[in-house]
Amino acid sequence: MHPIVRINISALLSQNFILVKFYGICPFMGVSKKIDTALGMGMAVTFVMALASAACYLINLLLIALGLEYMQTVAFILVIAALVQVVEMFLKKFVPALYKALGVFLPLITTNCAVLGVVLVNVQEGYNFLLSVVNGAAGGLGFTLAIVLFASVRERVDKTDCPECFKGFPIALIAAGLLALAFMGFSGLKIF
Amino acid sequence: MDFKKQFKEGLLYKNPVLVQLLGMCSTLAITTSLFNGIGMGLAVTAILICSNVLISALRNFIPSQIRIAAYITIIAGFVTIVDLALQAFIPALSASLGVFIPLIVVNCIVLGRAEAFASKNTVAASAVDGLCQGIGYTCALIIVCVIRELLGKGTFGGGILNGGEGIRLIPAQFPAMQMVMPVGGFLVLGFVIAGSQKLMMHLEMKIKKKEEAK
Amino acid sequence: MKTESSAAYIARLAITLLLITAVVAAGLACVNAVTAPEIEALNVQKTQNAVEAVLPGGGEEIAFTDDSGIVSTIYKGQSGYAVEVTPAGFNGTVTMMVGVDNAGQVLGISIVNHTETAGLGAEAASQGAAGTAFRSQFAGMSGSVSVSKDGGQVDALTGATITSRAVCAGVNAALNAVSKLG
Repeated sequence: MHPIVRINISALLSQNFILVKFYGICPFMGVSKKIDTALGMGMAVTFVMALASAACYLINLLLIALGLEYMQTVAFILVIAALVQVVEMFLKKFVPALYKALGVFLPLITTNCAVLGVVLVNVQEGYNFLLSVVNGAAGGLGFTLAIVLFASVRERVDKTDCPECFKGFPIALIAAGLLALAFMGFSGLKIF
Repeated sequence: MDFKKQFKEGLLYKNPVLVQLLGMCSTLAITTSLFNGIGMGLAVTAILICSNVLISALRNFIPSQIRIAAYITIIAGFVTIVDLALQAFIPALSASLGVFIPLIVVNCIVLGRAEAFASKNTVAASAVDGLCQGIGYTCALIIVCVIRELLGKGTFGGGILNGGEGIRLIPAQFPAMQMVMPVGGFLVLGFVIAGSQKLMMHLEMKIKKKEEAK
Repeated sequence: MKTESSAAYIARLAITLLLITAVVAAGLACVNAVTAPEIEALNVQKTQNAVEAVLPGGGEEIAFTDDSGIVSTIYKGQSGYAVEVTPAGFNGTVTMMVGVDNAGQVLGISIVNHTETAGLGAEAASQGAAGTAFRSQFAGMSGSVSVSKDGGQVDALTGATITSRAVCAGVNAALNAVSKLG
């Protein structure tokens, strides 16, 4: 199968960033109380992930040329932090409604492991420029899919009558576990 | 600064994983054997202490507008040092934790403590805070690891004891493999946090009763 | 007190950040100088061990042609070849060493590196009973191998058909590359 198709399917379903690989759990738990904020967050993360994959691919070429591979983590996180700043300024100026909705969460994308995670995986797997960007975008869409699904489940979960000590976070984690169980069903999907 | 209070907070009342709900990614992803849990816990503890000390020492030097960028650079530096050191001296751990070592950079515990504690307190207090929070994190990881490993593989101490195979407590055909897979991570952490909330409520009731008795 | 937008203040921000980054970079360079030779030595040792595990006596690296795209290195020894192949597994690339004797039969395989699921695909590399049995069945095979689900002779690991297929693909590529060497 063509590598682009393979990366897309696996990043969306069988290797879903959140539910299978555990990248980006913090926003997954933090921003999943309402479907529309979850969707906005998902889109913002997707955008940053694709952009970061492209930028970090180029930075990595530079680092390899200079023989500074050990600076990868430091360089990548700085690039990501700068990108998030740019996206924030862009949204503030041109899409103020989305900026207002995402407000607090935008800076949090910097510390979202999904973004740094996808960049590191791209380097580890030796993807070329195109595959890196595709992997970033597909990973972001997988993140969006998981967070939106989870938000719709959670709107109901929060109203359930469960034992006092399970209220809030624990019951949400258990709901996420059941969602992950459903996604396990996709693991046979990867065709060669 | 009260060492005993900081220790209690790190371990229980403000446990980074169980109460503050920080650093979920690594807590869910790598807790499949005792070896992973202890290794990750110690790596994060070391990084927390170092970054807390340095950030606290520089707290009057770093302008507030660029503090987050500065903190992240410092943290990324320490994480890379630990990453390189593990690759060179404990390759088994490095292979087992994989990409989750560089991902400590974005572990909210480290940045969270830098922002909430080290940027406002003295170097000594920050070092103690790093140690206590790190121990709290390690303990939470170990609890989740032990449960997942027991239910998922039927062993205890995988990667360390009994030549790396772990001590078998449940015959090989019974364990539910799903528990060491992503599903198990979410479920076990859910129950562990529920358990800690129950314990917390119990402790609060006790304190209340004591006060009423007075 | 300077205003936030004054040029001097912005310059101070930039210089502070630059200074911190420079110090971090310098620190890392020192650490890297210590650890790089260690890591390099470990990698060499690891490859050598993998070669010796599948090819008694080890071997020397030789040139080769590869049309499968997954053969990375071939070592030639007394009794045959050790071929390093990198098929795509379930989660990522599986790096494995395949020993092939001069008659074109598999001597043995060993998994060098992988990112397969713990408890399922990862069993292929484990020292436990399931992993050992899985790897040892390849010894003596020749021509083309595939898992029994695809009509072949290899018993796949429980719940890890994709990893097992990847290992088969690696073995096939190795056999193919060696047959071309003549």
